[in-house]
Amino acid sequence: MANTACFIIVSRNDIPIYEAEVGSAMKKEEAAQQHQFILHAALDIVEDLAWTTSAMFLKAVDKFNDLVVSVYVTAGHTRFMLLHDSRNEDGIKSFFQEVQELYIKILLNPLYLPGSRITSSHFDTKVRALARKYL
Amino acid sequence: MKKPTVLYVRLPPVQRLVEIKAVAEQLHFKTSTLLLHGGKVVEAIAWFNKHIASYRQLVGSTKNSFLHWDWLSRQFLVFAELLETSTVAIPSTLPSHFGTSENPLTEWEVQPAYYYQLAASYLREKRYCLDSSLSMTDSASANTLGKNPESVLPSVFVGQSARLLEQGDTIEVLPLSDAEYINYAITEAQRFQDSYEIIALFKKAYESFNSLKAPRLASHCSTRMAKEYFIAEDFNNAKLHFDGVSSLYRQEGWVTLLWESLGYLRECSRRFGSVKDFIEYSLEMASLPIFSAGEVETPNSKREYGPAGLPTLSRRESVQNEVFGLLRGENILPLTDGGCSLIITEEQPVRVDVDVISPLRMALLACVAFHDQSVKPGSPTMMTLSLLSQLPCPVEVDRLEIEFNQPKCNFIIVNAVKDLSTAQLDMDSQDVRVENAPSLILPTNKWLRLTYEVKSGQSGKLECLSITAKIGKSFMICCQAESPASMEELPFWKFEDQVETFPTKDPGLTYSGLKVIQVEEPEPQVDLILGASSPALVGETFVVPLTIKSNGHEVYSGELKINLVDARGGGLLMSPREAEPFSSGNHHVELLSISGTGVEDESQTQFDNIRKIQQSFGVVSVPVLRVGDSWSCKLEIKWHRPKSVMLYASLGYSPNSTEAASQRVNIHRSLQIEGKIPISISHCFMMPFRREPLLLSKVKSLPGIEQKVSLALNETSVLIVTAQNCSEVPLRVISLSIRSDGDEDSRACSVQHVGGIPADNAPLVPGEEFKGIFSVTSKVDSPNLEVGSVCLVWKRDLKLGDFEDSGVVTEQKLPSVIVEQPPLIVSFDCPPHAILGVPFLFHIRIHNQTNLLQEIKYSLGDCQSFVFSGPHDNAGFVLPKSEYIMSYKIVPLCSGLQQLPQVSITSVRYSAALNPSAAAATIFVYPSEPEFIVGAKKQETILV
Repeated sequence: MANTACFIIVSRNDIPIYEAEVGSAMKKEEAAQQHQFILHAALDIVEDLAWTTSAMFLKAVDKFNDLVVSVYVTAGHTRFMLLHDSRNEDGIKSFFQEVQELYIKILLNPLYLPGSRITSSHFDTKVRALARKYL
Repeated sequence: MKKPTVLYVRLPPVQRLVEIKAVAEQLHFKTSTLLLHGGKVVEAIAWFNKHIASYRQLVGSTKNSFLHWDWLSRQFLVFAELLETSTVAIPSTLPSHFGTSENPLTEWEVQPAYYYQLAASYLREKRYCLDSSLSMTDSASANTLGKNPESVLPSVFVGQSARLLEQGDTIEVLPLSDAEYINYAITEAQRFQDSYEIIALFKKAYESFNSLKAPRLASHCSTRMAKEYFIAEDFNNAKLHFDGVSSLYRQEGWVTLLWESLGYLRECSRRFGSVKDFIEYSLEMASLPIFSAGEVETPNSKREYGPAGLPTLSRRESVQNEVFGLLRGENILPLTDGGCSLIITEEQPVRVDVDVISPLRMALLACVAFHDQSVKPGSPTMMTLSLLSQLPCPVEVDRLEIEFNQPKCNFIIVNAVKDLSTAQLDMDSQDVRVENAPSLILPTNKWLRLTYEVKSGQSGKLECLSITAKIGKSFMICCQAESPASMEELPFWKFEDQVETFPTKDPGLTYSGLKVIQVEEPEPQVDLILGASSPALVGETFVVPLTIKSNGHEVYSGELKINLVDARGGGLLMSPREAEPFSSGNHHVELLSISGTGVEDESQTQFDNIRKIQQSFGVVSVPVLRVGDSWSCKLEIKWHRPKSVMLYASLGYSPNSTEAASQRVNIHRSLQIEGKIPISISHCFMMPFRREPLLLSKVKSLPGIEQKVSLALNETSVLIVTAQNCSEVPLRVISLSIRSDGDEDSRACSVQHVGGIPADNAPLVPGEEFKGIFSVTSKVDSPNLEVGSVCLVWKRDLKLGDFEDSGVVTEQKLPSVIVEQPPLIVSFDCPPHAILGVPFLFHIRIHNQTNLLQEIKYSLGDCQSFVFSGPHDNAGFVLPKSEYIMSYKIVPLCSGLQQLPQVSITSVRYSAALNPSAAAATIFVYPSEPEFIVGAKKQETILV
């Protein structure tokens, strides 16, 4: 499992709707804000890259020190962004795909307003389990 | 690099690492320069990444790790500068294969800005390590500073340092020990102003990202730059940059990042001693949607979290408590490391304004809904005031001041629980209404609804402008009032998973409620009477009497507006397509004048000055009227076309002479008036009796095409003009005449009145016809002869007193006629009447007016009523300019009105048949010789 990993889902109107620190060790100097600052900055790169390829998985789009930002863009332009330090590309891809399935299940919930914050604890638990499995 | 073995000294470990890195830097610099010079950007970057990857781990001992970070930062800086100087080569080489497996470079990695900001981050790392190693050494090595080498020089070898010793004339270069070197390095590093360097690098990256239209990357740089300014205690610049980034985060809804920036901003305002800013930032922070449970803050968390601390619910609560403590008059003590003490005094009250785009709407949102859409003046209406706060702890408001655009409606709601003496402290004006509310506590995300009565005496718009909440003695938060119907949701909270609540109890009002209500005008107590007997007749000056009568109001500065509008819609009373203009313009209906019969003569002159009349619009001023007085005037309207028209009269006045013009009362009346054609005029041309010219244009006329009437040259024709009263009122005809239009035509054609016009002012009841007979003799052969126009002068058969005019002229143009020379003229000659059994002569004369010999054929058909002698069919020749006469002797066999035998004459040359009309071929047969008793012995001829 990765040492550091921060997973965030950004809705199509650029608002973060889910955030989770999924790393095994929370390093002191790498706090949540720092990660979010990096991920937010990486949105610019995603904007550029997302329209150049038909692939959903954009792989690593940005680097910050030894941290890498991997991005997966869904058809509805919701972006899954993962800040991580491991280099296991296949694992990350599987992680994203499984998270997308979970996300679709959330979207299918008639009580969920698309674009609003995901507060489901079940989703959270599942995402964390997937992170343990793949990252 | 080849090592010169003679002088080369193997250095101690720290310096050895420094040396290795310095050498590597040299090599890398040269390689990169060469690669970039050759335009191989991708290779250069790959080379750089390899270089960094192989040296990044070589941190060295923690004490001197700052040397490593310094070096690393320099690598990035140097590479960035190299890239920047060779940017010309970049754009063309690299567009296609980003992100592929063989080229994992992103577009941003070829931008120098990327390296600048990394250089800045490593420099920050260096400063952090330097600080920590300084704090370690401060106590321990205070004594060692004494033997700090005075003169250290870079030696001849790259990356080596040596001490320079001067002993008399000899200059000796000695190697340093590691401890000495570290001391030297630390003192060197301390001299260096890292902060400014870091800011400069971030600024470079920030500007470059901004120009690349990457606002988020730029804002990341900006945040770090602002933090650097904050550390360097340049709060002005820090605030400037934090404000910039926080607006981006606010817009995109990144709550955690906004929390962090606001924390810094709040700290900046504390340093400035700006109470207002401090309150605003604190309120915004406290109302952000952050719910995470608190984590334990680590002792050195300040570095990671900044002054805002962890984004948790408990932290929000403590921020709110802190700021509300300040509002209630507590003091916020200055920080140990500087800043001002914050306190709100009564001398300097703080007022925070919240408008529809302010982020502080989260802290306090006020919306106002009137229960009705309009209200009569002076009668009360209900209004619901709703307040919402997203602050984590309940907020207690001491006083609410509601402000309207009509200051008389303003009122104050006082919290009954609070001590009234404080609330009424500054209530100097007694005329402001004060309401009591049992409690004014706003729980989190729950609307506080207050319903009150409002009464307005002034007509017009009543709008709630703002709601000012007063907390403590000297703090006010002034919210712009919003209508629930058009209220925007709170940008941060709308996607939160929370209970949806309505600002008003009635959900319908939530969707339709407005903060504006229309106060109607007071009921007019003046009568406006339009008296007119429809319909109006086209052409006449139609008079509509208008009366203003005051029943309860006095009329001051009254203004009467008259408007004529097409009743069928369309507004305008003219059609632009109809090009034929009337003498008075092309308006179909025209307001001619408004003649007042004023009670006072002096006001009459004044009134004439003000009045303004256009073709369908008129304004006149009305003199001052006391209660019971009345004033009337007459509207003169003229119709040019039959049209139905709405006449709108509206009177605006103010019931008091003193009051301003705002309090005006309006009264409107309308009347539909039909405009009708009074008289329809028709005409027909006739030939003289039993005289038939052969008109070739008639013979050649094609069926279906409407032909002009043809007249024969030098012959006298009869014109009968018929005028029918098609209105519903009796009329009088004054005269009927034919007016020729020009001199030329008057010579060409002479029209003489023959008869049919009765005595003056003949009455004409509805539906009745009236005929005038004229003889027309045309003397010019013309295909298009204007005969003239019918001029009918008429008037209404009414006794209207002073309204007695000379009559209305109705003119109708007669169509033009063809005048031509007939080649043949046939006239029938027979006695006016016949007597049964008595033969009479019947002549048919054919006059040849041409210079040609005309061959004619003629026939006479048998009939039961007559026997005749002569040929049935015959042919003959008419010599030029002469006459051919056929004579028949006819004996009538029946009495009464009888048809003569059918005559048919055919001109061979023109192949035209000429049949006399039925009237011409009819004769009355008496059974015996009639006895006429005529006194004057005059044998009367009886015409049919």
